Amino acid sequence: MRVKAFVAGVEKGKIDAFKNIQETVKDIKKINKEYHYFNEISDWLALAQVKQKKKGKLSGVAVSVKDAICVKGVESKAGSAILNTYKPLFNATVVEKVINEGGLIIGKTSQDAFGFGSFNVNVGNKMDIPLNPFDKKRACGGSSGGCAGITQKIGKAHVSLAESTGGSIVAPASFCDVVGICPTYGLVSRYGLIDYANSLDKIGTMGKTVEDAALLLEVIAGHDKKDSTSVKSKKVVYSTFVKKKVKGMKIGVLKLGKGVDKQVVHAVQEGIKKLEKEGVSIKEVSLPYTEKYGVSAYYLLALCEASTNLARYCGLRYGESGKLGGHFNEYFSKVRSAHLGKEAKRRIILGTFARMAGHRDAFYLKAAQVRTKIIEEYKKVFTEIDAIVCPAMPVLPLKIKDIDKLSPLQNYMMDILTVGPNLAGLPHMTVPVMKMKGLPIGMMLIGDHFNEDKIIQLGSWIE
Amino acid sequence: MTFTSDMVIGLEIHVELDTHTKLFCGCPTKGNEEPNTRVCPTCLGHPGSKPVVNAKAVEFGLKLAMALQCKIAPSLIFSRKSYFYPDLAKNYQITQYEEPLGEEGVLAIDGKKIGITRVHLEEDPASLVHEKSSVLIDYNRSGNPLVEIVTKPELHSAEEARDFMKKLMSILNYLGIFDEAGIIKADANVSLKEGKYVRHEIKNITGFKEIERALHYEIQRQQMELESGHKLRQETRGWNPERGITYPMRIKEVEEEYGYIIDPDLVGIDITDEMKQKAEESLPELAGEKIKKFTDMGIDKGDAEVLAQDRLMAELFERVSKKVDKVLAARWIRLELGRVLNYHKKTVADEIVDEEQFIVLLRLLQDGKITNRVGQKLMDTLAEKSFDVAKRVKKERLEVVSDTKALEKICKAVVDGNKKAVEDYLKGEQKSFQFLVGQVMAKTKGQVNPQEINRILKKLVK
Repeated sequence: MRVKAFVAGVEKGKIDAFKNIQETVKDIKKINKEYHYFNEISDWLALAQVKQKKKGKLSGVAVSVKDAICVKGVESKAGSAILNTYKPLFNATVVEKVINEGGLIIGKTSQDAFGFGSFNVNVGNKMDIPLNPFDKKRACGGSSGGCAGITQKIGKAHVSLAESTGGSIVAPASFCDVVGICPTYGLVSRYGLIDYANSLDKIGTMGKTVEDAALLLEVIAGHDKKDSTSVKSKKVVYSTFVKKKVKGMKIGVLKLGKGVDKQVVHAVQEGIKKLEKEGVSIKEVSLPYTEKYGVSAYYLLALCEASTNLARYCGLRYGESGKLGGHFNEYFSKVRSAHLGKEAKRRIILGTFARMAGHRDAFYLKAAQVRTKIIEEYKKVFTEIDAIVCPAMPVLPLKIKDIDKLSPLQNYMMDILTVGPNLAGLPHMTVPVMKMKGLPIGMMLIGDHFNEDKIIQLGSWIE
Repeated sequence: MTFTSDMVIGLEIHVELDTHTKLFCGCPTKGNEEPNTRVCPTCLGHPGSKPVVNAKAVEFGLKLAMALQCKIAPSLIFSRKSYFYPDLAKNYQITQYEEPLGEEGVLAIDGKKIGITRVHLEEDPASLVHEKSSVLIDYNRSGNPLVEIVTKPELHSAEEARDFMKKLMSILNYLGIFDEAGIIKADANVSLKEGKYVRHEIKNITGFKEIERALHYEIQRQQMELESGHKLRQETRGWNPERGITYPMRIKEVEEEYGYIIDPDLVGIDITDEMKQKAEESLPELAGEKIKKFTDMGIDKGDAEVLAQDRLMAELFERVSKKVDKVLAARWIRLELGRVLNYHKKTVADEIVDEEQFIVLLRLLQDGKITNRVGQKLMDTLAEKSFDVAKRVKKERLEVVSDTKALEKICKAVVDGNKKAVEDYLKGEQKSFQFLVGQVMAKTKGQVNPQEINRILKKLVK
């Protein structure tokens, strides 16, 4: 059910919010048994919240939260076993805002540990890989795979708080056939987000429709003095841009490289036709610099930051610990070896290497310079158009067993289309465009900084 | 680097800034001493917490950097210094690396300029409490604001290092950015010409007076090693203040690897001309300038130096000297106020002597209405409790006895009653004359000007 209609129903007394959330929890538990979308279901919290009868834009709406976003008192481990048993002492600002608008927190969703992955197969020790809602042999996409899977599978009014560092919202949203919006860096507070790469992490939204996702975005956007990187921006009611006339708007169709699946290319062309029919003009654009250096620059910066962020997980203050003994370095190594996953270790080693005294000029500092160039490349393109369109993922949802066969580099190259807007901090969203052989394809729209309204407006004509 | 002097010393000094809250969170820097009570998710390094820089600490750091005549960075940028250690909540320390708040400053001691390489802000780690078989961690200190001052290797003796520290302490005192009960720590690099300038670093010397001691010991130790034919090797040593010795910690072969990156949680804050101007305007006249001003006023250099050492004492002098004779004020603040403060173990900040009454007292002295001795006694009582000095002098008849006839009578009686002393004096015994003066003083309860007694006695015994 669409969120706005549901909230209206609750407010008019036509829908019993308490009964509805009870049913929602029941559905979720049933879906979760089969598809593994949750790391923790906080039904007790949702039921306590519904009793408070808080009125707002999300009255009685079930909201799932990516595991990396802290919810007070609910185990929050960013998908990693090293944070088992960690219950935050505070709510992330976005969670606080959702609660203030009457939203009900139903649980923490599955993700690649610390966001390290594009398919949600890099889950923590003893956790289950979430399965694609259209084919259980296939992956949900990642890293916000649990958010996308549950958003697709649940029939009740529901939205999800997701997070993207290099494509972790649009990739799973595209694989699960839902709408995902990743905002401009700085529009939404990161306070309470368990960091992957702080200069790239952005909390965003997912919903069954553009309107649902846009509504959640308008709830969570805004400056927060607890996050120094959050920006003072003007308040925009994003959901009102849905189905606003787009005649006269201009889009740039990204010239694609060779590695993109033909079915995906075809699907996106169908989406572009829909926009043309509404009076949108198109032109071809290319981003050669971003295409060539984006993935390398992204991984260098992300891993340098990640390797410092993960240093704190050493079994001393929270999460998993071990038997004390020996030199502190031995103890830290023992705990980290036992509870961090393979991909986390790979990224820590790569990141630490790239920022060492002998290498930081060539890798870390160079990557930062490349990032500036990439932003400039996008900025130039946006002087002529309102949005860039392209696929979110170069492939159809992959089989889990095939992902295992990819080399780390092949794996990282799956982000070729998504790292650009993420590196440049640009808002981007994916909208389901069509299915091929029963598998969904999402079309991505990228806007200029703080132009979420424009991509929402355009995207609403595709669904 | 090529050195020419016999001894090369460089200092890295950490000073705790006197702000109410920590550098990146709202926890108080002082208060409850119960371990782990002044903490929050940020200074404990909890996942999801984020740092927000304390504007007051930036202001304090900026003042110091400007007082040390540093070039100021265009933007305030923090970095992560990564290393694993149990006292670091995040296993990295937020500090400044790429671009420190201030660079290329200078501090002059006795006309000699000592270069300052950098002045930067950073967070303090937690404190470790070593027990018999375990180590406990107290995060109360975690995240406290520190400013680090790095000198060029331009100090050439332990005494110079001491003078440098004294000067720096006085600047911190003047700027009002350091609580004297707060922490000041230093790492000192020492190398000798005979030792081919092989560098030794002494870590964690706590308290500014310890620095001179540690350096004295280390210099002698290195000289003795060399004299007995040993070769020096680059190493890091610790300082044991109880035993007064340095001890080897680790041999230093390579520079430590900290993998610095810019802290992406803290966006660069522009240091605007407005901020600099505000800091500059709030910079007080520093001790050096005050000494010059005071000596120009005709104050004895020794007095001027003592007065200028403490900002509050200097300011007290400036106020008092507007109302009474400057030289008298300087002398009395230095000696007599200093004496009673010392006796009561207080400082000028405690304001134990009523300033208004102190001025009345000085005026009475200046006008010759009371003697020094009476003045001293009044100071003693003023330090206990304030009272109306003028009234008391009148009530207790403490004024200088100016009745010459009465005084002559007392003097005559003393001369008559001490024939032996008079004879001795006339034979040339100066001491005997002093004895006679003393007798008169005793009879007049110190209320008579000693010069006046001298004059009358001399006339009588001639």
